Amino acid sequence: MSYSASPLWADIVPLPQDDGPGQPLAAIAYSEKYSEAMSYLRAVMASNEMSERALDLTSDIIALNPAHYTVWLYRVRILLTLKKDLHAELSWMNPVALVHLKNYQIWHHRQTIINALNNPDGETDFISKMFAKDAKNYHVWSYRQWLVKRFSLWDAGELEFTEQMLKEDVRNNSAWNHRWYVVFGRGDEAFADPDIVMREVFFTQQSIRLAPQNPSPWNYLRALARRASGPAALPLSSLQPFANTFAPLSAPDAVKSTHALDLLAEIHSENEADKDKAYQALELLATRYDPIRANYWNYRRATLEGVKTV
Amino acid sequence: MPQTPSQFTELPPIQDSLITKSSEVELATAKDCLPLLANPEGRLNSFGLPHLNRAGHITFLRSNLEDLLPRGFTAADASRPWMLYWALSGLSMLGDDVTDLRDQVVSTLTPMQNRDGGFGGGHGQLSHLATTYASVLSLVTVGGYAALNLINRKTLWHWLGHMKQGDGGFTMCEGGEKDIRGAYCAMTVISLLNLPNELPPEAPARADGVETFLAKLPEWISSCQTFEGGIAGAPTNEAHGAYAFCALACLSIIAPPNESIRRHIDIPALISWLAYRQCAPEGGFAGRTNKLVDGCYSHWVGGCWTLISAALQSEGSADIWSREGLTRYILCCCQGSAGLRDKPTTYPDGYHSCYVLAGLSAAQNVFKFEVDEKLLGVTPGTAAYGWTTVGQANVPGDEEDRIIPVHPVLVVPFERAAECRGYFESKIGF
Ligand SMILES: [Zn+2]
Repeated sequence: MSYSASPLWADIVPLPQDDGPGQPLAAIAYSEKYSEAMSYLRAVMASNEMSERALDLTSDIIALNPAHYTVWLYRVRILLTLKKDLHAELSWMNPVALVHLKNYQIWHHRQTIINALNNPDGETDFISKMFAKDAKNYHVWSYRQWLVKRFSLWDAGELEFTEQMLKEDVRNNSAWNHRWYVVFGRGDEAFADPDIVMREVFFTQQSIRLAPQNPSPWNYLRALARRASGPAALPLSSLQPFANTFAPLSAPDAVKSTHALDLLAEIHSENEADKDKAYQALELLATRYDPIRANYWNYRRATLEGVKTV
Repeated sequence: MPQTPSQFTELPPIQDSLITKSSEVELATAKDCLPLLANPEGRLNSFGLPHLNRAGHITFLRSNLEDLLPRGFTAADASRPWMLYWALSGLSMLGDDVTDLRDQVVSTLTPMQNRDGGFGGGHGQLSHLATTYASVLSLVTVGGYAALNLINRKTLWHWLGHMKQGDGGFTMCEGGEKDIRGAYCAMTVISLLNLPNELPPEAPARADGVETFLAKLPEWISSCQTFEGGIAGAPTNEAHGAYAFCALACLSIIAPPNESIRRHIDIPALISWLAYRQCAPEGGFAGRTNKLVDGCYSHWVGGCWTLISAALQSEGSADIWSREGLTRYILCCCQGSAGLRDKPTTYPDGYHSCYVLAGLSAAQNVFKFEVDEKLLGVTPGTAAYGWTTVGQANVPGDEEDRIIPVHPVLVVPFERAAECRGYFESKIGF
């Protein structure tokens, strides 16, 4: 039934869309249903109405256009003002989220609701369903980070979860980012813990062996070397034997990873006596193995030469 | 006709044998692009690439603006200022004069400006930083005092004061999410409209000792750089190309890039991350590690290089990236019969048209930043006005494939940015 025909809405004077005095640009041929619902929304928002019927109206509009941030923000205010059952809200929004995964209003809304409920039960399972559809969704991963921090879920199977995600796709960089967050997101102490750093080095190197041309674990490994400190310090040069196995400079035909070459170039550039090896690695990258980045490799070379002349 | 280099016609020499979801879709994308790169069809330029289909893209963007959009566009009902901006910006880069649309732009946006000073996505929608940014940039792009005067600067200043957070960042709207887009959108608007740097007296962030829009902002941006070297939408999130541009552009508004970017960003780590986003064999950019090439990152990542050069003060030295690769991807893979697209398997849209063209501007032009002593120190946020185009880069395009350079930080036509800023500098008070 239309809003105008409903006795429930008889007291409301709908506010039709003002399209401005001229011919509007980027105008949309709305359905009559959507136009009418929006006219009633403008009216109830203008009087800041907090009511059941306004809540139902937001459900209707979200069904027609879930990318409508205004409706979501108004909805959450009504829910909290009327002290509605927020579990019911979650059940209502779950199917919406599954269909409109890329819509990030939904995730912000969910965050507000879970925060108010003060209980994360079932959330990680729900998120897993989302990842089954899109394992790299930025909003879902951001939401997961928030959840971990808000409810202190650091040790509640989160590391195992990243392992599982990476088992499914070792190239899922979002999962690598999440792993870094889980391991080091609580504070810098972890960087100085040899057990943690060595565990991460081991895991990363195992992953590289599966697919040596995968940039994600190489990035992770270099960041470990850059950040590990104190008793856990990991000099870049200590990674040389590992990198060599994927890019033996003595056997340039056998290179299996441009990332290993990149790392070797960096390691050798630290040492004046080894600069030639750094040049060789950069040359292999620029001319043979990674020519799309030839300008970058030449820039790295120029930077090295610059250092030399100083 | 010159031979296409094999890096654009063959898969990269190293391919892992392990197949996962990521490698499957990457290979499929490469296979969609390779024929278009190796054997382009249609009217070709002297480098053997398709010409820029200027007329087709103009028709597409004009129709995005002027035709009644079908019901399927209802999902864009909260983004109409964006639809305006993408089309107007794209048309300007294509050399299509948009001043005939000025009255309609003003008329369309009038009901979207709220009493609180911000612009919503449509009439009766809440003020939002993204739609405020898109509205202001649309008005700047059509230009003229009638357009600029629509903006209620004083109430907008008050509203922006509510977006500023105690930690230095900005939320996108009241009760909304905090991310780096907010910082970039807010600083762009503040700079173009010459708004005071002081927060309005009632701004909530004052309770945390934050008294200006710039306070703690560079530090907050800095905290978004991740272990990968790239920049995330918010601290600890995954590094992402669009956020890299937002961060660098925002820092380039705050102060000259050779000061602000140098001070607050680990530049070698970021350069490495940016360089790795250029995809082979496609030549275009991806937005994240192990994600697919996508036309819109032509701007989000491609546009970063200009700002990096200014930070390094290396304008005129050898490029760090491949302008040729990006030009090839854009001309061969992003052009539909009308409008520009993410990749060959997708349909053109306004968003991709705008940012693919802005990426082409980055590829085709060499920009230079020079400190304008007259401006500096007058108001923070004047660094964006030190840019000029100093020449055309050597890319595989003919004269007729060239587009009009877009401002590398503000992403509006150069002269329109200057007109807007000049107009509001000449005003006394609001
Ligand atoms: Zn895109």
